[in-house]
Amino acid sequence: MIVDVIVIGGGASGLAAAISVKKRNKQVLLIERENELGGILNQCIHNGFGLEVFKEEYTGPEYAYKFIEEFNDLKIDYLLNTTVIKLVKNGDEFVVTISSTAQGLKEIKAKAVIISSGCYERTRGQIAMPGERPRGVITAGSAQRYLNINGYMVGKKAFILGSGDIGLIMARRMHLEGAEVLGVAEIMPYSNGLNRNIVQCLNDFDIPLYLSHTVTNVESDDSKRLKAITIQQVDERFNPISGTEKRFEVDTLLLSIGLIPDITLLDDLSVEVDQKTKSSKINQAYETSVPGLFICGNSLQVHDLVDNVSKESSRAGNCTADFLENKFKPRKKINIIPGKNILYVAPQYLDFGWDFTDLIISFRSSKKLEKAIAKVYQGDNLVYQKRRTFVVPAEMETISFPYQELNDSQDIRVELEEL
Amino acid sequence: MYDYIIIGAGVVGSAIARELSLYQAKTLVLEKENDVANVQSLANSAIVHSGHNPEPNSLKARLSVWGNKLYEEMEKELDIPLLRTGAYVVAHNAEEERQLEELTELARINQVPEFKILSFEEALKDEPNLSKTVTKVLSLPTTKVTYPWEVAFAAMENALINGVEFIKNALVTGIKKEFDYFVVTVNNHIEYQCRYLINSAGVASDDIAGLIEKNVPFHITGRKGEYFVIDKRAKGFVNHILYPLPTELGKGVLITPQYHGEILLGPNSELVEDKYLPTTSFAGLAYVKEHAAMLADNIPFNQIIRSFAGIRSTADYDDFYIKESLEVKGLFHLGGIDSPGLTACFAIAKYLVNEVMNVDNIYQLNPDFNPYRKKRVMFHKLSDVEKQVLIKEEPMYGNIICKCEKITEKEILEAMRGPLGSNTIKGIKKRTRAGAGLCQGGYCEEKIVKMISKEFNLSPMDIAYDKENTKLFTQETKVLKK
Repeated sequence: MIVDVIVIGGGASGLAAAISVKKRNKQVLLIERENELGGILNQCIHNGFGLEVFKEEYTGPEYAYKFIEEFNDLKIDYLLNTTVIKLVKNGDEFVVTISSTAQGLKEIKAKAVIISSGCYERTRGQIAMPGERPRGVITAGSAQRYLNINGYMVGKKAFILGSGDIGLIMARRMHLEGAEVLGVAEIMPYSNGLNRNIVQCLNDFDIPLYLSHTVTNVESDDSKRLKAITIQQVDERFNPISGTEKRFEVDTLLLSIGLIPDITLLDDLSVEVDQKTKSSKINQAYETSVPGLFICGNSLQVHDLVDNVSKESSRAGNCTADFLENKFKPRKKINIIPGKNILYVAPQYLDFGWDFTDLIISFRSSKKLEKAIAKVYQGDNLVYQKRRTFVVPAEMETISFPYQELNDSQDIRVELEEL
Repeated sequence: MYDYIIIGAGVVGSAIARELSLYQAKTLVLEKENDVANVQSLANSAIVHSGHNPEPNSLKARLSVWGNKLYEEMEKELDIPLLRTGAYVVAHNAEEERQLEELTELARINQVPEFKILSFEEALKDEPNLSKTVTKVLSLPTTKVTYPWEVAFAAMENALINGVEFIKNALVTGIKKEFDYFVVTVNNHIEYQCRYLINSAGVASDDIAGLIEKNVPFHITGRKGEYFVIDKRAKGFVNHILYPLPTELGKGVLITPQYHGEILLGPNSELVEDKYLPTTSFAGLAYVKEHAAMLADNIPFNQIIRSFAGIRSTADYDDFYIKESLEVKGLFHLGGIDSPGLTACFAIAKYLVNEVMNVDNIYQLNPDFNPYRKKRVMFHKLSDVEKQVLIKEEPMYGNIICKCEKITEKEILEAMRGPLGSNTIKGIKKRTRAGAGLCQGGYCEEKIVKMISKEFNLSPMDIAYDKENTKLFTQETKVLKK
């Protein structure tokens, strides 16, 4: 037996992708490793979700439920408590090896695969934080799960390193749960979280934000529990400046130092990886360099709003259906290159074999720009421009424009011109 | 009354326990930590050296060449993991090539098997990422890698089935000698008696000696080594252990492929004031990066998943100090067992038992001694067919708990059970490697908490990461305040 599409991961991205493929009358099997659908949304009990998609504000579980309801109404097949341990391609077929208590080790074949496996949190090890290694240094997302799903507090006196959104949300959450939150340190000169989270999670509770600061020492007590941390201001090259040390006695250091797309499943396939997004490169159809392998959501690029995940994944699902209907023909592709003031772009390719009206490009700026114009060039030709205000690296930007006029032999370049 | 008490269950103490279990003697092992191999034996390069480096005719030279050979036996008897990497010691210029010649001479005198000099071009064939600045290489094919924690665990597990007793969380706080026996006080209030006392307390061995001796014959200083761990997805980046030329500080910063696929960079070597406190520093880690880059090109620094520091217990004595106490008869010291202690541990045990303590003159052989340990299932290393068979017998092998290292529910359950079972997150990580991968437990720790809670009927509030006071949680949230 061979299914049309296997969707790997049943969070916001996988749900939306599976729904859109199913609506195109394709046979879908979604595989989820947890014991319920919804993914990380289940632990995001704060509100702020759905303003773009539903024009209403929901909590994470409510937002997930809207999709799970539709998913169930469409009678989409899915497996819970099931881990995909291997993904390979044989000829035109994908072979997905799953493992679970109920099914054991089993191979399932598919014509197309959508990766919606989300991301994982950067840990202390990846930033080589100096000092001792006590218990009490924990990623913000793990602490959030313990707190919101399992019902346990990881500490009473906390400091937060990194101003990613989860860190900011957790600062408020820990405070509301009775913990003392002494501050948030961010190594960059700007916050990495949404502005609304700075206001609603820090400012409203008088939690100080130390920009251009990082943790430079970690101390433990005799029983190897965190006792104190030291933060220091850093210069433009991120080297600590001596004399700026501040010591905080805390039992918990939450890390919100970045999310990394989880593409370990792609190890056995030779996909082209973008060092900037740390995920697979894609064309405008969310297709990787392996035909029939699609990727979306946080496993493609880390989003700041779940609404954008749903929209993107829904489009990826539609492209997967197009693929199954052979709605593309082999043609040339050109590179989409991040230019001035651009951190990354996705997609990285424009493939003229896929026939859409509009090209949608997501990107992040590499610095804060009060006023800017997003410009797209092909060679010296300006093919698109749009004014933007308050462009910050923390917020993903999206532009969309028709691309029929572009030639298929010259790369295009996205730039942000500062005004 | 015990015949032997061993203080310290690192690789050395555990190997001695197993060696003593060959005899009809009653042996007790006291460990201050909550597990075997929790200090020096846990955090090191994991290398079984060839014996090329120590001064000829030293104990270090003899016991490391012998110990290296014993690992081959122990692999069969105790199912100890071995990765036969071989090693390259590299030279970069004429002066270093001269030193490499000297080192080769040491290897010859120490009777290291199969060593040879390779040109850069020859070495490059097997090691494509070898630094282009390298000019010559000393190849040491018998050098290999093990999994140090498992060495101690396997030896102790085998010792236990052969009758040895083991008590963890047992800090020795006093030692007295009465007539012809010792009284060992643990945690200030429990007393054990024995005829012979073995001090294999590693970093604490001089402190233990100080509990009964006026003039402790050696003094331990902590020498810190800092490391980076590169994710196993970079496996194959180097295949051999790469050494620089040794200096007075030790063997230098190495690149070492690990048994489970990761790659270690390090260690540096720095004397520390507090020998119980390994810490990493910006400067130390920068040193490791800089020196590793002299060994290989294109090091995937972007795949680093962890940094850590370990302590080596360096004595103010030039060699391993393995002797009976000059002051107290029946007390035996294993002092200054720093590198190559892991390499030598099984030889150290045999040397102590046979040549220093002459146990065979005192006790009969144990006729029921079973040299074999039951093979441990490392599920992800099996073939698909073997996996299918096991899952049929035990469906819990189908449930992946740690997705980075692919560790199953059944393996974690096994780690919690048995005489050396653990109920801590760190204990389970050591036993199974759950949480040792890319996400460092971000995904599976929560699942393991639930499993520990169920297996031991413990509230999550009472579950610790490692030691008693490292509880994971400080309070419950969803309860009404009384």
